[in-house]
Amino acid sequence: MIKFNGVNKWFGKLHVLKDIDLHVTSGEVVVVCGPSGSGKSTLIRCINRLEKFQKGELFVDGTPLHDYSTNLTKLRAEIGFVFQQFHLYPHMTALQNVALAPINVRKMKRADAEALAHEKLDRVGLADKADAHPTQLSGGQQQRVAIARGLAMSPKIMLFDEPTSALDPEMIGEVLDVMVKLASEGMTMCVVTHEMGFARQVAHRVIFMDEGSLVETGNPHDFFANPQTDRAAQFISKILTH
Amino acid sequence: MLEGFNFRVIWEYMPFFMEGLRNTFLISIVSLFLALIAGITACAGRLSPWKSVRGLAIVYIESIRSTPLLVQIYFLYFGLPTLGLRVPELQTGIIALMLNSGAYIAEIVRAGMTSVPNGQIEAGISSGLNYFQRMRFIILPQALGVTVPPLLGQAIVLVKDSALLSLISVLELTRVGQTLTSERFMPSEAFFTVAFFYLCIYFVLKTLADWSQKKLIFREAY
Amino acid sequence: MMLFYFQRLIEIFPFFLKGLWMTAVVSGISLIMATIFGLLLGIARASKNKLLVGLIGAYVAAIRGTPFVVQIFIIFFILPEWGIQLDAFPAAILALTILGTAFICEIVAGGIKAVPRGQWEAASSSGLNLYQQLRYVIVPQSLQTILPPLVGQYVLLIKDSSVVSVIGVMDLTRVGWVTVNRIPEGLMVFTLVGILYFAISYPLIRLSNRLEKKMATQQVML
Repeated sequence: MIKFNGVNKWFGKLHVLKDIDLHVTSGEVVVVCGPSGSGKSTLIRCINRLEKFQKGELFVDGTPLHDYSTNLTKLRAEIGFVFQQFHLYPHMTALQNVALAPINVRKMKRADAEALAHEKLDRVGLADKADAHPTQLSGGQQQRVAIARGLAMSPKIMLFDEPTSALDPEMIGEVLDVMVKLASEGMTMCVVTHEMGFARQVAHRVIFMDEGSLVETGNPHDFFANPQTDRAAQFISKILTH
Repeated sequence: MLEGFNFRVIWEYMPFFMEGLRNTFLISIVSLFLALIAGITACAGRLSPWKSVRGLAIVYIESIRSTPLLVQIYFLYFGLPTLGLRVPELQTGIIALMLNSGAYIAEIVRAGMTSVPNGQIEAGISSGLNYFQRMRFIILPQALGVTVPPLLGQAIVLVKDSALLSLISVLELTRVGQTLTSERFMPSEAFFTVAFFYLCIYFVLKTLADWSQKKLIFREAY
Repeated sequence: MMLFYFQRLIEIFPFFLKGLWMTAVVSGISLIMATIFGLLLGIARASKNKLLVGLIGAYVAAIRGTPFVVQIFIIFFILPEWGIQLDAFPAAILALTILGTAFICEIVAGGIKAVPRGQWEAASSSGLNLYQQLRYVIVPQSLQTILPPLVGQYVLLIKDSSVVSVIGVMDLTRVGWVTVNRIPEGLMVFTLVGILYFAISYPLIRLSNRLEKKMATQQVML
């Protein structure tokens, strides 16, 4: 589904991704963790090419992303992306936020798109907030609307970039619940997060990154119980004591 | 200093002043409307992903902003005929005002657009919206809100700028003043009356601009 | 034919340079005076004296609310009625100074008001007198806010100076106007005039933008 072959990226002189090799299969849930600045956000932003990279190959659902001439609009429509800061459109209601892309990218009829949007909002438990504007919603609710917005395009892959880091602690649960449900339904997911509970519960694989390199990868049980590298062990002890 | 101020002649010329005032209104409104179209187009060009379009927009915007309006008016007034185009003074003037204000409006709208957070644009990209759809549904609706107060400011400038059309004999408010001066040689009566009318327009627009600014600040706080 | 006119234009190019010099002199003198008066009035406008604030406010509104060409006519045609005879050159400088002062005073007042109250209190607690408070504490801090729009205002003033051509000052615009009556190639003549204005305005616009960059405008991706 997603295949990185020796991907390298630089921001100016800063080498932010170093020889990344990674293969995510269909239906797999991968959690990416690591200290801040380790390149984990950059990694998943490459998957729908919000970031370009300079060297290496990346195939997503068969589409070569390293070939800059490919038109990505179609591919992007099939990848849902959830941001740390939600980035809902403040001038639209929750429903309009969700229905915008189906109407304009999928060319659905407005009524159909709105029915779809209602369904997706229902799925994230916000059926009653369809007509609310983002400013009227709590952070957790906004993030759930953002997930519904991603789901509305019936994506093959969902990417999450620290979806709970900007939330107050009491709101993290509601967002994670939605994500757990999504994982159990067989969605292919890449999640950048420090929520180790979530990783233990649903991840098939945990990837640990540091300084732009993919340092360690393994199933969550082994990774947490028995990290192979010092850097991973240090990182785990830090977040677990929190 | 008001001794000898001849109100009778002002009264006598009042229909003429009214005609000038009406024309100033019409010229300003038409030019403002056209300038909005020109400005939004130029701004879209300025932010376009294609280099040549961007270059063209930059040349337009910067050359307008770096030269006086009067020179632009003369450029069209004396220049169009050399191209074999016979355009009446009024239309020439409106084109000049449109092109001039268009460049400033382009910058105003651009400032509004850059005020839309990057993340929302990324969200649009991620859901597969193309450039025009992102413009149409995400950026423009928000940018327009922020740009209302400075656009009203530009409207004030435009009304005042339209006075320069009097120099290519377009009959508007200032031209009425010039006519009264040359017919009766009463410059005080002529130009203080003209100034008074401009001030009225100014206060209306200024009040609107301040009000919209307040509304906007309120919305942001909310 | 065009080539012939082009050669003629080259021949009289020194005439254009004289016009450019006149534009530089008129706007240079005016903007120096306007900066001095604008600074003084701006400080007064940011004060607590209600009468002073009101008077300056009325002056600013009168200038901002009326077209510059009307102001020039008032100064040039009406002052003589009150027994003040002015040649075109001093009249132009007077008009531009009055105009520039009004705008600069608003910029300065805005900058001073943007300095937090605590700075005044701290400065007066350390026993500085009013002049010292302004000179060492308030004005240096407000310079950051004042400088970019001030340079922008200089550009506006230079461009507005083109309007003084209507009372006969032989500035760049007037040179273009005179020339076009002898060399009927409007596009060519006013392109040249435009380029010369561009040559002085554009560097200042760039400077103003550079100064403004401090406000860290984010790069947008559309």
